[in-house]
Amino acid sequence: MSEISLPRSTSPRNPRISDASLSVLLPVGLAVFVLVAWQIGAKVSGISPVILPAPSDILASYNGIVGDLAHQSVATGSEAFFAFFLSCFFGLITALVLSSSVILFETFYPNLVVFQIIPKIALAPLFTFWLGIGATSRLSYAVFISFFPVALATMTGLSRADAGALRLCRAAGATRWQTFFHVQIPYSLPYFFSGAKVAATLSIIGIVIGEFISANEGLGYFILRAQSYGQTSKIFAALSVLCGLGLLLYVLPVQGERMLRKWWRGS
Amino acid sequence: MSGHISVENVRKIYQTGKDSVEAVSGASFVANDGEFVAILGPSGCGKSTLLMMCGGLESITSGKITIGGTPVTGPRASVGVMFQDSTLLPWKTVRENILFPARIQHRTLQDVGPRADELIELVGLGGFADKKPHQLSGGMRQRVAICRALVTDPDILLMDEPFSALDAMTRDEMNDALLDIWDKYRKTGLFVTHSIREAVYLADRVLVMTRRPATVVADVRIPFGRDRDQSISSTPEFTELCAYLRNMIDQERIPGRSVRRVKAA
Ligand SMILES: Nc1ncnc2c1ncn2[C@@H]1O[C@H](COP(=O)(O)OP(=O)(O)O)[C@@H](O)[C@H]1O
Ligand SMILES: [Mg+2]
Repeated sequence: MSEISLPRSTSPRNPRISDASLSVLLPVGLAVFVLVAWQIGAKVSGISPVILPAPSDILASYNGIVGDLAHQSVATGSEAFFAFFLSCFFGLITALVLSSSVILFETFYPNLVVFQIIPKIALAPLFTFWLGIGATSRLSYAVFISFFPVALATMTGLSRADAGALRLCRAAGATRWQTFFHVQIPYSLPYFFSGAKVAATLSIIGIVIGEFISANEGLGYFILRAQSYGQTSKIFAALSVLCGLGLLLYVLPVQGERMLRKWWRGS
Repeated sequence: MSGHISVENVRKIYQTGKDSVEAVSGASFVANDGEFVAILGPSGCGKSTLLMMCGGLESITSGKITIGGTPVTGPRASVGVMFQDSTLLPWKTVRENILFPARIQHRTLQDVGPRADELIELVGLGGFADKKPHQLSGGMRQRVAICRALVTDPDILLMDEPFSALDAMTRDEMNDALLDIWDKYRKTGLFVTHSIREAVYLADRVLVMTRRPATVVADVRIPFGRDRDQSISSTPEFTELCAYLRNMIDQERIPGRSVRRVKAA
């Protein structure tokens, strides 16, 4: 019944050390340390670059494949973005519809929770079987796996509106729909965005898995091709691009969350 | 007459699984139109339950509550409510929060807008109308909640310990603000509190409730006029009334049970 809290950064704060510089320096420092250790370890141990290429080998392998990588990234990135967008849209719609009636909610929510637990990666080949090899099957699969977290999180949010606000609606004589629109939906938005963050990651995973199974372009295809030629450093090069794509997509729900906080808190 | 509340032999039994709790047992009282009635009793005794039943927010197990002569069956527009926490919607401005019940009831802005602005000025929130709740202090939020409860011009205002989360100084300020409001808009008020001082300072009558299952054991008339201010609280009459009520509440303690003493703020 107190003020609702939006998800915030949960890092413990030390007031004595400058906040901003610390929260940049520490993670960047760790990343640099790991890269340096990797570089030295790979070179000193004498492990073959085919097994574990050093960061410098990976950098070198970009040479001559930048154009190809860019092309594959556009293919994967655009499909992943589209999958992300669709899963947010369908996730939201599903949550709104299923939460609009107690009977629908009670019928579907537990089933969705159970369904969420199924390792849906195992279903990827089925999508190829049903929808053929192509963008449709990859997209459907990616949306299929990423829409659940959005739908579930939003449904949870819709059912957890502030008790005081609900009582306020009741006292004012609000209809169920008024309560839904004026209170439940706004209170579910933080949950929607945390679901969307998970969906951002899963959409890329879905598209890449699709490309592993059936594709003649995209980063997943690129990785498989590099693997068959034993070009390990190219695999890592593609992985680093995938990381970048993932971050780009992840920024969207984070930005949404920031806008929401601004709307609610003015900060 | 529309602000007349009559509570007749009302009982409330909460059923949770196999357990049942009798929260209110045979409570009866009347609040006349325009009267400010404080309900005083130890915490957990069933004050909120009784108030919620008057507001139609909680069902009545047996007995009868009528408002303006008609039985209470659910929330109605002629009754405003206020709770211990202000529950403002964080994305709405002060003004939007105040207008919220009016919006729910499809009242037009021409209809309620001027009244909202008048209330905002009256409680001293002028200049804050476009601020968001996170920019306000606890006392200011509770002022917003008062305006929100009054914006639809109800005949009755139900208040459930509205100031008990505030510090003593803010609480005194809020009490004065409430007196000002009562001067301007005469309503029927039911005010739940466990502060004896607050009850005597604000009310025309104080009802004393027993421990659970609660019932009304005393109905004490407060002889001060409505145009009172903090100066009355230093009169011997005021002190005597407080002592009298304190004594009555102490006598209600059931021997053998450990009971927290009711605190006079
Ligand atoms: N929704 C509920 N379900 C079950 N028991 C309740 C409920 N609300 C209140 N009670 C019980 O009823 C009693 C009276 O509660 P309440 O009216 O809130 O007291 P007060 O407002 O005087 O502190 C308490 O023992 C409380 O535990
Ligand atoms: Mg209470």
